[in-house]
Amino acid sequence: MSQAAAAASSSLPPPDFERASAFPEVTWLRNAAAARDWASIRQYIDGLPFGTDRSFAVVVLAEVDGIEEWLRPLVAAAPDDVLALTVLGSREVDIGWEIRTSARAEHVSKAQFAGLHAHLRQAEQLLIRATALDPSYDAAWVERITTAMGLQLGQNEARRRYDRLAKHHPHHLSAQRRLLQQLCPKWSGSWESAHGFARESLLSAPEGAMNGCLVAEVHLEHWLSLKGQEREAYLRQEHVRAEVVEAAERSALHPHFHRGYGWVGAQSSFAAVFSLMGDLPRAAACFRALGNLASEHPWNYLGEPAETFVRHRDAALAKG
Amino acid sequence: MTPLPPPADLYLTEVDGIPTLFAYATGPMRAGLVFRVGVADETLARAGVTHLVEHLALYRQGLADYHFNGATKAAFTHFHVEGAEHEVVAYLQGVCASLVDLPMDRLETEKEILRTEESRREDPQLPLWRYGAQGYGLVGYPEWGVRNLRPDDVRHWAHTHFTHGNAVLWIAGDRMPAGLSLKLPEGGPRRPMPAVTSALPHSPAYFSDGRGGVLLDAVVGDSVAARLYAGVLERELSRALRQEGGYSYTAATDYTSRRDGHALVTAFADSLPAKQDAVLGGFVDVLAGLQAGRIGQADLEAVRTRADGTLTGHDSAVRRLPGAAEDLLTGRAPRGVDELRSELWAVTPAHVHAVALEAAGTALMQVPAGHRADWAGYTAAPTSSPYAVTGRRFGAGRGDGNAPALVIGDDGVSLTAAAAAKDGTQEAATVLYRSCAAVLSWPDGGRRLIGTDGIMVDVEPGAYGVDAHTMASIDVAVPPDAVIRLPPRPQQPKAQSARSQSQTQTQSQTQTQVQPQSAGAPAGGEAPAVRRTGRQTAAVVVFGLLSGLFAFVALAFTVFGDDPQTSTGEWVGLSGFLWGVTALLAWPAVRILRRSRR
Repeated sequence: MSQAAAAASSSLPPPDFERASAFPEVTWLRNAAAARDWASIRQYIDGLPFGTDRSFAVVVLAEVDGIEEWLRPLVAAAPDDVLALTVLGSREVDIGWEIRTSARAEHVSKAQFAGLHAHLRQAEQLLIRATALDPSYDAAWVERITTAMGLQLGQNEARRRYDRLAKHHPHHLSAQRRLLQQLCPKWSGSWESAHGFARESLLSAPEGAMNGCLVAEVHLEHWLSLKGQEREAYLRQEHVRAEVVEAAERSALHPHFHRGYGWVGAQSSFAAVFSLMGDLPRAAACFRALGNLASEHPWNYLGEPAETFVRHRDAALAKG
Repeated sequence: MTPLPPPADLYLTEVDGIPTLFAYATGPMRAGLVFRVGVADETLARAGVTHLVEHLALYRQGLADYHFNGATKAAFTHFHVEGAEHEVVAYLQGVCASLVDLPMDRLETEKEILRTEESRREDPQLPLWRYGAQGYGLVGYPEWGVRNLRPDDVRHWAHTHFTHGNAVLWIAGDRMPAGLSLKLPEGGPRRPMPAVTSALPHSPAYFSDGRGGVLLDAVVGDSVAARLYAGVLERELSRALRQEGGYSYTAATDYTSRRDGHALVTAFADSLPAKQDAVLGGFVDVLAGLQAGRIGQADLEAVRTRADGTLTGHDSAVRRLPGAAEDLLTGRAPRGVDELRSELWAVTPAHVHAVALEAAGTALMQVPAGHRADWAGYTAAPTSSPYAVTGRRFGAGRGDGNAPALVIGDDGVSLTAAAAAKDGTQEAATVLYRSCAAVLSWPDGGRRLIGTDGIMVDVEPGAYGVDAHTMASIDVAVPPDAVIRLPPRPQQPKAQSARSQSQTQTQSQTQTQVQPQSAGAPAGGEAPAVRRTGRQTAAVVVFGLLSGLFAFVALAFTVFGDDPQTSTGEWVGLSGFLWGVTALLAWPAVRILRRSRR
């Protein structure tokens, strides 16, 4: 079924993947970046209360095409601007991944890998300086978890970076999501450490926090790594079901679920995993909370994001 | 009661025209005779001659009761003694007399002692990567020159370096010893400091080595601030890697003045094998923190207070004497305690920050094997030469064009990697005859040429099929002074890729590696022993156990199976079958054991 057909067959509005729909400040940030108004951007981000996940704003800015053209001279002129170092570092990572493409490793050329690594090294050196200047700067550490992964610096090094961040920000969702990727077998980790970390993140966070979504995400990762019937069998296991339900009740389905930066993705992970498990009432609860808000991840794991979102939402709401 | 003289200052005087530093001290008298000569003044082919002179000069002291010692360093040689006044006088005069007339009957015995001493010593690696196979880099090499030194060579070295004009004496005691007279070889004026060479085209730089842990050194201006930087760095490394991270047991730094206006800051952190990546990452971050100007005032004060305690301690002057003697040999006058203290207390975090930036630019880092530091902005130190010589080409073994090849030209020799890179360039290790620091020469015809940049090339005529005429052309072309004749070796090496050379020859480790493009077995011989993998070890265990089991069954049948119910023919056949199965099972295990090493 095509995207248009899926949307047309549904009586509900199509999914809205636009980040600005959940967080209007995204539009403001993009406009400020387009106007190259660094002073306002800095003032805004520096003014966010301590504990805010600054990675959200950094990622939004790093997605702005061409922002590196004026950030590079800006960093050269102001080498102690931690935010500028971080945004430019994050942008270099994005440029590197654009060169690599998201294809499977065997379809990526040597030159593409070389391009990725060159940009990751540039990013890393900007970010080393950022975390050296301000060791409590969350967004720079979050990017350094990604550069450690791409440069294959090792499991302990990635964990060390997370620990440096967690010392100041113990329940940092963006950092936990990135580290979870590194801990999975696809990045030379193990299921034991990935599941362990997800559970640890759930239990150490307060009730209603978003961090429980890591449990849903690690089961989705595990599910994705399997083939054919193994996938369904995996999610049908009683202990898997129990874990996901426990995590949802502490986070996405908690009456005081915290809708901070990243909540759409967190809610979506539960919606997806409950749908795949066939737990339609809980999936429906998640979809109701989402309305038509959606994030690319995890729906891109299941197929074409808009199409799978609509199919699973409609199925859940019809029964649940 | 007589008033005590000011205890902490050094006084400059003379003994027989030799500049002498004196400090008041109680207890036994201490003294040192220091010469401006060391390993960095030698050449690779004469490496060890200074150390040999030091040993010979001390031989006649025999088994004296008082404490004495000698030390050969990069640019200085120290003779040190502690004892009663008459013992100190006897020692110093004895050393001087020996330097004038070395006991050459001891030459061969002292050479043996040096070899024993060397076998217990681990040569540091950073110097040869930083300076090459010359000057200050020589402290990283074995004392290859010792073996071939003749009495005249040693005497000449002593009479041109351990001279009256090239010495400084220091004394710590309640007075200058009576009747002291120092008669040293005459000779030229004071030796200038060794030239500082470089084998690093870019810095900061790094290289990978098998040992665990991270080691770094950096050249900075010799100053009190730099000394404090080393102290602050040690505290930061300990905090980040040991106390907070738990990745390291030891994190330490060292500060060594080169006495030429510069000093070497060295930093080290050990690591569990499983935590090497985190130690490297944490190390980089500690350095970055100091470079970014995060110098903790509390750390600075702690390090400063300790340094001040050393300056004001009761033995402060005595501790400073050997260093002050080295300074005097390089034309720098001794400094008063008050001056040193005021300089110490004037250091601010900004000064330490400036040192951190200076160190960042000159750093050389040794990272564990399998790790890199390019991601942190360090350039890989060269492990090959930028070009190869042209000349006659000798392929190893089958000559399929894919094997490493030896090129022998008019200017030098090159060992080229197995295959050229896509852009047509080929990695090569090249040693030019004119910049050849040493040639190791074995009676079986094998030669190893070591360039002043530290790159080395093995020329094995047997493995590469090099004719005698061509070999002779090498022997003629290399500088005669560079040749080191070695005794026969137990085994003539097969042609190997330069990389496996470095794995199998642990002594004399230099930067040879032309990275082979393919890891296949080099032609002309067996595959070099490679490290055994976990899977191979498991296979050895499984096949070993199975073959052991079958061997037991086969043995039992062979011994007890010849009963009346089976014919001898059946018994022979079945025994043979069982032994055959045993052999088949044992073969893979034996094969893995032969091909790999633990």
